[in-house]
Amino acid sequence: MPPEFIVDALEVYSVYIHRTMFLTIATDDPRPIYQQVADGIKELIARGKLEQGAPLPPVRQLAADLGVNLNTIAIAYRELQKDGLIVIKHGSGSVVASSTSTERSQDELLRPLRTALTELVLAGLSSAKILSMVLRELRTVGKGGK
Amino acid sequence: MYMGREFLAIFYIFFWVVRIRGCIRRGRQPLLRGPEWFFNVHVQPDFYTGAGKKILHRYWMRMLIPFVLDIPITMAIFLPRYLEYAPWLLIAQAVWIHVNHVYSVDKAEREARPNAVAEAEQPVASVASSLTPRRLRDYTNPRVEWALALANIVALAWLLRYYLADPQHQNWRVVFGIPVFYLYVQVGMLFVKRVALAWRTPVPQAQAADYMEAREETRKYYLQMCDWFRAAAAAGILFWAIVIRTSPAGFDRLMRIWFAVWFLISVVGTVLVEIKRQQLVKVSLRARPVKMPDLLQQSEIARWPLCYQPSAPMLILKGARGYSMNLANTLAHLGAAYLAGLAMLFALLRMGH
Repeated sequence: MPPEFIVDALEVYSVYIHRTMFLTIATDDPRPIYQQVADGIKELIARGKLEQGAPLPPVRQLAADLGVNLNTIAIAYRELQKDGLIVIKHGSGSVVASSTSTERSQDELLRPLRTALTELVLAGLSSAKILSMVLRELRTVGKGGK
Repeated sequence: MYMGREFLAIFYIFFWVVRIRGCIRRGRQPLLRGPEWFFNVHVQPDFYTGAGKKILHRYWMRMLIPFVLDIPITMAIFLPRYLEYAPWLLIAQAVWIHVNHVYSVDKAEREARPNAVAEAEQPVASVASSLTPRRLRDYTNPRVEWALALANIVALAWLLRYYLADPQHQNWRVVFGIPVFYLYVQVGMLFVKRVALAWRTPVPQAQAADYMEAREETRKYYLQMCDWFRAAAAAGILFWAIVIRTSPAGFDRLMRIWFAVWFLISVVGTVLVEIKRQQLVKVSLRARPVKMPDLLQQSEIARWPLCYQPSAPMLILKGARGYSMNLANTLAHLGAAYLAGLAMLFALLRMGH
């Protein structure tokens, strides 16, 4: 039986592995990398995988792990901060903001939906098809919603 | 630093035995994944009968370079019986062996790449990264930290009391030299822990969990090693606080016991490390090697062996000619400051000797 402090340390590490959440970026994605990072974190927040107050990795760690420029992640974090989704605390890192801190107008929130719908319409999809797609996505994304 | 001469010789022989085992392990490394692989390069079926034979042979020869260079240095130290330099030789060799290994693996993989299976050389399209912050406190056991801090404080307080009891007859360098050095070693180990934490973990999306497990297990192993070294240094300070008060005869006896205990710990520790290494190999073999995309254009921005790239987050970049240390990284500054501090400490401790 190993000493207690080693058992404790192993537990800490195993918790680390099990609670790991992944952010993915793709080189064949037309969106710039900072956008992919911001969208990825937004999606995890929307699904409830990243809860209010959850700490995010420091800019340097995420940039190093993904192998991208420091500014790329800094821009992504600033965008998330601008949208009220994260709070950047200098010196202590970034955390997911509380949902009440998002103070954006309905028009502002609808803008990306309009853009996405326009693209689907231009792609020649029928309204019914678009609606079913939207509902399916909403079911996936909305799992973490209230 | 006092060390029984016979124990130094035994330690050195033990180190050589361990090195032979390490050399065999490193020699087998290119073939661990089977005949289709050379390290992490997926090679063509005829690789080992063609160009690969020479590449493998050259790699093996490079693994022997430290042995070849060691023999004259060892003779220069041991024949005239300058045994006090042996511990420094051990440390220099440990660093040299690892640097040589990392360089040789990188060089061998570069040489093998032209013979790789073409599809395997295509970088993966998706890269994943963990969103869990890696903080030192997440890898720290408070009880261990308290125990280490307490051991250091008690030993230093005891030494201070001993020195202040008769400062006229005590040489402060003798009383505090070794403890201060061991404290500095502990600070160095904390720095190494920070480097291990910053060690990047890019993982392909397809096998993210396997890769993460392998990286975390390896990281955990290095962090635990750092903690063991810190514990050993703290024990050294405690032991010094006890041994300095004893009579010359008692001093010699205690030193012998101390070295005998450490020799036993070294033997047991080596066996445990070897077992752990084999476990790590098993875990890392589960993650199939893939080529990661170079999103930072490292091959263009990283000049060998040093570069200055403030926007690159890594300490070590992989350039076209090999690894390059990024001098713009905070860890490079801390490392340089640590080495400068070490040199100053030695100068201070030697002054007046």
